[in-house]
Amino acid sequence: MITYRITVPGILLLLLLLPGLAVGHKVNLFAYAEAGRIYVEGYFPDGRSVSNGKVKVFDSADQLLLEGKTDPDGLFNFPIPKTKDLSIVLDAGMGHKTTFTLKKSEIKPER
Amino acid sequence: MRLLTPLVLFLLIPTMASAHFGAIIPSDDMVGPEDARTLTLEVKFIHPMEGHTMEMARPKRFGVLHNGRKKDLDDTLVSSKRSEEERTVWISEFKLRRPGDYTFFVEPVPYWEPAEDLFIVHYGKVCVNALGLEQGWDEPVGLETEIVPLTRPYGLWTGNLFSGQVLLKGKPLPFAEIEIEYLNGSSADGQPIPTPDGPLVSQVIKADSNGVFHYAMPKSGWWGFSALSEADWTIHRNGVDKHVEIGAVYWVHTIDIP
Repeated sequence: MITYRITVPGILLLLLLLPGLAVGHKVNLFAYAEAGRIYVEGYFPDGRSVSNGKVKVFDSADQLLLEGKTDPDGLFNFPIPKTKDLSIVLDAGMGHKTTFTLKKSEIKPER
Repeated sequence: MRLLTPLVLFLLIPTMASAHFGAIIPSDDMVGPEDARTLTLEVKFIHPMEGHTMEMARPKRFGVLHNGRKKDLDDTLVSSKRSEEERTVWISEFKLRRPGDYTFFVEPVPYWEPAEDLFIVHYGKVCVNALGLEQGWDEPVGLETEIVPLTRPYGLWTGNLFSGQVLLKGKPLPFAEIEIEYLNGSSADGQPIPTPDGPLVSQVIKADSNGVFHYAMPKSGWWGFSALSEADWTIHRNGVDKHVEIGAVYWVHTIDIP
């Protein structure tokens, strides 16, 4: 039987291997609609991108419409699923989670 | 005589320690995902502590610096009369379309101040953060004179220290004199403080040899910082060359820790 011994140096090594977790940095999310698609950007206050963040898109009835992941530049985009108020959630792990509401009026600007 | 009395009285008022301040006051200094993304900006020329507004002509230039690019916003300015004094101020509606810092700036046309026998040009700046991306506030705009913040100029608690550097033609201005005034009535509860006497109206500090200054704001609301210099150019008026006072003005907002 193989047993794994968790050692202090092992934990430290693990911590070092975790992708750049900006502890103490708030995760931010911005989304906008352009030419039939919705573009999502995840970033830290200093401008570094939130890569590999889980994106979930809900409608106003809290129905999950789609999900995806941000790329190394913190970007994700998808076709407009509904011309309704959309709630976009970015989860960067370790409690770094934020929500952005994209209003119906911004998805289809009234001109 | 009836007409003369107020005039004479006015002339007899000892040099009032009220400083002029060019101002850009936005409706918000931090715009979050749940906030309205349209800002209303008031561009005006005021005595902030005493609550006086002076007549302001259409600014020569009004714009915004965002993401390293300057955008002209002259067309957005609409004149408005201040109800209490019937003086012209300028209002701009601006939609924040992208995250990041927006530094708004104004260059007014020279204001003739007979009491001081000179023209006044105050280059005003204010920074608004949009959607948590804190980038751009420390960039100079490139004005003839300006204050470049060394402290992030938004999200400030009352009592925080604000540091900045005074530039004249892009270079630090050693030992610049900075006047600081509180925009009376701009606290969260909107209650003005009684106008204080004498030196309390304007605080005065001097920058160090690198043009760097510091000031801790003791009350919530808007605070104006104004560094004055004399321009190396003059304006011809009635056959005489008049001096021009140029001011680098910066506005920051503080809130009380709940």
